[in-house]
Amino acid sequence: MRPWVAAILYAVLGAITFVVCFPLLWAISTSLKPKDEIFRWPPTLWPEHVTLDAYRELLFGGSVASAPGAGVPPSAYFLTWFGNSIIVSVGSTIISITVATLAAYSLTRFRFWGQRSVPYIAILGYMVPSVIFVFPMFLTMVSLELTDTLFSLILGYVCITLPFCLWLMWAFFRGVPIEIEEAALVDGATRLQVFRQIVLPVALPGIIAASIFSLIVSWNDYLFGRVFMNSMENLPLTVGVMHFFDGTHVDWALMMASSVLMTLPMAILFGFMQRHLVAGFGAGAVKG
Amino acid sequence: MTDVVVQGLSKSFGSNQVLKALDLTVPSRQFVTLLGPSGCGKTTLLRLIAGLESATAGEIRFGDKRVDRLPPGERNIAMVFQSYALYPTMDVARNIGYGLEVRGTPKPERAEKIGTVAKVLEIAHLLLRKPKQLSGGQRQRVALGRAMARRPDIFLMDEPLSNLDAKLRAAMRGELRRFHLDLGTTTVYVTHDQLEAMTMSDLVVVMNEGVVQQIGTPEEVYGKPANLFVAGFIGTPPMNLVPAQVKNGVLTVAGTPLPVPLPPNAPAELVLGVRPQDVTMATPGEPGAIPGKVWMVELIGSERLIEVEIAPKIRVTAEVRASHRAALDDAVAVRPDPGHIHLFDPTTGRALTG
Repeated sequence: MRPWVAAILYAVLGAITFVVCFPLLWAISTSLKPKDEIFRWPPTLWPEHVTLDAYRELLFGGSVASAPGAGVPPSAYFLTWFGNSIIVSVGSTIISITVATLAAYSLTRFRFWGQRSVPYIAILGYMVPSVIFVFPMFLTMVSLELTDTLFSLILGYVCITLPFCLWLMWAFFRGVPIEIEEAALVDGATRLQVFRQIVLPVALPGIIAASIFSLIVSWNDYLFGRVFMNSMENLPLTVGVMHFFDGTHVDWALMMASSVLMTLPMAILFGFMQRHLVAGFGAGAVKG
Repeated sequence: MTDVVVQGLSKSFGSNQVLKALDLTVPSRQFVTLLGPSGCGKTTLLRLIAGLESATAGEIRFGDKRVDRLPPGERNIAMVFQSYALYPTMDVARNIGYGLEVRGTPKPERAEKIGTVAKVLEIAHLLLRKPKQLSGGQRQRVALGRAMARRPDIFLMDEPLSNLDAKLRAAMRGELRRFHLDLGTTTVYVTHDQLEAMTMSDLVVVMNEGVVQQIGTPEEVYGKPANLFVAGFIGTPPMNLVPAQVKNGVLTVAGTPLPVPLPPNAPAELVLGVRPQDVTMATPGEPGAIPGKVWMVELIGSERLIEVEIAPKIRVTAEVRASHRAALDDAVAVRPDPGHIHLFDPTTGRALTG
């Protein structure tokens, strides 16, 4: 590549990277600013005085001065919301992955009526926007008396993540040669041993990719949390942090610190699993 | 040691009948090759013996024990797959020892057996590698090692050499044969490569369309083909098969009488088979030589194939020394060696000689 072409390419890529990363950088910067600096004009790109007040308040109950009205300040719920988000994300991911893995394995290994159409119907279901079925689902939750429970959110997230997880795992299992399972059967392994010791380790990149997908979708969801949940102590993080906006003013420091803390688990997960994620989605793309 | 007896075995996939009431006995300690074109049912038969498919009808016995209802793991067989089917997430040692592991063999005993097999196969230095870090030949050896480690009653091999390059394949043919002679384990080997079948087997089972066409030693299936299919399938270049007539008790091909003794009750119309190696070039008009025109000449190394059209659309190939020259459309004649002529009934396809 000619040097000037490379220079232009790097400049364009750098600009795109900056645009993509700017909101996150701005959130980090704002979360570290003292309150008077947040609204200063012209704004400071990086805080002149770094403070961890917002983080302290969120994580250790800190000052309640910024809380609207009387009673318990919303920031006191932060760790509860964080815990709720972890429970519903991990819970729905475990269910989605278990069902998707077993279903996808059956769809690729056993012959039965509808075997070919199920993955396509599933992916079709995934393409329907969640907003279309959130209200029918809400009514179902009401009739099941499950509204305002974490379990209702887990069920809701399973509904939106399972089809894609199933599709991904199906594409993955189709790429696992059946001969290795047959070889294990000839070696004397039981069906369960074959699945556990041979198939699952091979399918691990797919399982990781599907898990990350499911975790991100349920971790970032706002719609289901907004519709299904009422009480402060049951809210997921995405809905909960909206309480830092009380109609008259927004506590930007808390909002931004929450955003950073919310991003952290997924960023760490991404960092560790990136390699598997690429392998997993790659398999889905080529063989699906 | 165990013989394999297959009786009345049928297998259908939907309306497609792949095996048709097949009978076969694989004698104990023998190396038996199932040979046939693609889709003849040889791999299906092997998979039925392995227990990876269930039969539509018939039974399979290993010695006195009926096995066709047993799962693969209870048949004490080992199988080498065409794709090797190594466990990708396990290292070579665990691949070899997996069969022992699931059968609960203690770790020290397992390690000893893995070590012994690895030494025999010269893969001891690869034990800690994963399959993807191995070459085709090395994977092949690991697959063999996995089969050998358990000391099974029967080896089943499904075209295990077909993914290797020609040179390695030739070397592995010899090694496989050598292992078989050393171990003496009953082996059923599937291939579509007649060279493998001829060089390695004690017995060759030629199959076509789900039916056994002939069972015999490599010499028998080559020298005394039981029918037109075997005659045409075995041998490179393939046997010449041309229509022949019996007139006044004399066999004639394209109007030329040939001095060939006829079997009793030979039909008026026959098919004459003669291998290109048993055909010599002659000059037109010589007795016992069929006149014709040179249709194609091909050099195949030390030999030359001369294809002679003896009648419209009827051609006979002669394999001669490469020094023998012939030009297209030359008027020549071909002389089949009367001692190596095969006669077949065109209706049934069965051999009339031998």
